[in-house]
Amino acid sequence: MTKSKEFIARLQDGQFNRRQALKALGAMGFAVGAAPLGMRSALAADNATYFTWGGYDDDGMFAPYIAQHGGPPNYVTFGDAEEGFTKMKAGFVVDVTHPCSNDIPRWKDSGMFQGMDKSRLSSYGDLFGALVNLPGANDSAGQWFMPFDWGATSITYRTDLVDLEGKAESWEMLFDPRYKGKIAVIDSAADTWYCMAILAGVDISKPLTGEDIDKTNALMKKLRPQVRMFTNDMTSLQQAMASGEIVMALTWNETPVALAAEGHPVRFAGPKEGALTWCCGLMMHKDAPNLDGAYDIVNAMTSRETGVYVIDYWGYGHSNSASFKMADPGVLAQLGLDKDPIAYLNAGHMGIPQSDEVETRINRDFEAIKTGF
Amino acid sequence: MPLDSAQTRTLSQARGFIGRRPGLRGYLLLSPTLMIVGTLMLIPVLGMAVMSFWQQTGHMAFDMSGTLNNYAEAFTRDMYRVLFLRSLSISGLTTLATVVMAFPLAFFIAFYVKRHKMVWIILVTLPFWTSYLLRVFSWKVILGYNGAVNSGLMSLGMISEPLDFLMYNPTAVVITLTHAWATVAILPIYVSLEKIDRSLLEAATDLGDSPFVRFFRIILPLALPGILAACVLIFIPTVGDYVTPSLVGGSDGYMIANVIQFQFGRGSNWPSGAAISLTSMTIVAILVGAFVWSARRLSGRRG
Repeated sequence: MTKSKEFIARLQDGQFNRRQALKALGAMGFAVGAAPLGMRSALAADNATYFTWGGYDDDGMFAPYIAQHGGPPNYVTFGDAEEGFTKMKAGFVVDVTHPCSNDIPRWKDSGMFQGMDKSRLSSYGDLFGALVNLPGANDSAGQWFMPFDWGATSITYRTDLVDLEGKAESWEMLFDPRYKGKIAVIDSAADTWYCMAILAGVDISKPLTGEDIDKTNALMKKLRPQVRMFTNDMTSLQQAMASGEIVMALTWNETPVALAAEGHPVRFAGPKEGALTWCCGLMMHKDAPNLDGAYDIVNAMTSRETGVYVIDYWGYGHSNSASFKMADPGVLAQLGLDKDPIAYLNAGHMGIPQSDEVETRINRDFEAIKTGF
Repeated sequence: MPLDSAQTRTLSQARGFIGRRPGLRGYLLLSPTLMIVGTLMLIPVLGMAVMSFWQQTGHMAFDMSGTLNNYAEAFTRDMYRVLFLRSLSISGLTTLATVVMAFPLAFFIAFYVKRHKMVWIILVTLPFWTSYLLRVFSWKVILGYNGAVNSGLMSLGMISEPLDFLMYNPTAVVITLTHAWATVAILPIYVSLEKIDRSLLEAATDLGDSPFVRFFRIILPLALPGILAACVLIFIPTVGDYVTPSLVGGSDGYMIANVIQFQFGRGSNWPSGAAISLTSMTIVAILVGAFVWSARRLSGRRG
């Protein structure tokens, strides 16, 4: 105390010589440089990290976790699961992450994840059996993939600005020359490329051949000039659709629900070729620094109350069957989610896991076509 | 704790050793910077150089035996060539636009602002007080479909439908970058204008130069170091920009950095990303070097 006072007094009187001033500055520099070293461990210890799609950093999905821990987990987001996978392969360690069902084998084979102990999964008994037992989701080592949300990728369109001329809803809508430059698609091969594969007549429930990929790429190339933006930012997309800048876009179930809630006339198309359906879930990192927190995240996200929130506010299906009895029946009917999830998923096309080689090629081709080649 | 005599002696010996060698003293003073540059710049760049000779064999699986394939691809694949050219032309245009717009302002502050110069300088840096991302987003608000420009023109009755060519193209990238980097151009140009000896201008006038001739004979050549610095400071970072094209560039505004980001991200082809990065760095270094060299020669002949 006295020392700092003395220091300030000397500073005011200008009684410093050069050496003393440098010493003081040096000490300060060292202190500032060293400060973060002391802080990090304290912060990391009591909160788990959840690595997920942009948009899922929503406290509403973590009510039980927040009640237990006094705050939400650390959210870190990726643009699409492929990007997240690459970051983890490069050494980013998280507690829980959020891939989709067709990622399971590749992610499991990477050796970065651990089977979850079923006895620690509090909602296990409530979950739809068909989702819990998706191919590769569990084995004797435990539950590798805890299903969380499911739904479809399809076209959301402004019913007042898009004229179907009496034709049935179809993926062909995206190629209508009248709407050139007023179309947005998801900046992720896992969605946009696979939607085009469905239109190309490719069976995505089988391993893809080179010919399948070429056929789909040809459609992707035809689609590109129609597209105003490739985006993963659903908020910007929603605004663009609200203003009429975009009249048609590839989206998940959430966007039409949000737009309708704001009073915009939109429809989530049921393309005659079938929508792309998906189920995503949670995987736990093998070196999860906060294992208890990781289980708390999984249990919070698969809880009944989170299920109700996901259905009512996001318009997605949830893995917890009990939530469906608690959710707003009107919303369920409107979303078409009042059926068995498997019936819903089977009504569309659900991709199966593809080999590393095929995934890498699809991603590479998608990027090249997006750029204009 | 007071030092004992032996410690004091060692300390004073060390001081004497350093004191007698001014070169060493300089390096000691520089050592924190050198350490940071060494660990955070040099080692990663070397790492990239090594990595660029690997070959991708699977998802994040690489053959490390050494190959030139990545460089061959960087130079021959159409996509990369077009993206390199597009990046260079977007940056070139940005540099030109920024310097042309910054010069009058710097000139005004240097020659016509007599009082409160500091306030002007601070005002120039004002946009830098907010995040770069916010400035890009504000351009989205200005140029967007329902943005300031479109709604302004519509309310004036000049257009009936919003113009959709304002956003999501290379022009939007140039506009956004020009605004974002303005400060970086104004400050060095201002400094070199400010340093010009005013008596030279008087002499030129006395000897019969019109203000126009005076500008080209005295002011511009003397301001050249500042202009060069501004060009280099803007050109180098904008070639590698990827935030701006991904937010306002649309699919026709992609630049080389977007591909690099893809290769290190979703593409998981780090060796190719490293080779494209190094190629890009080399091209930029050669261009900047040639530019500075020729500008120096040009101004040398004039003087």
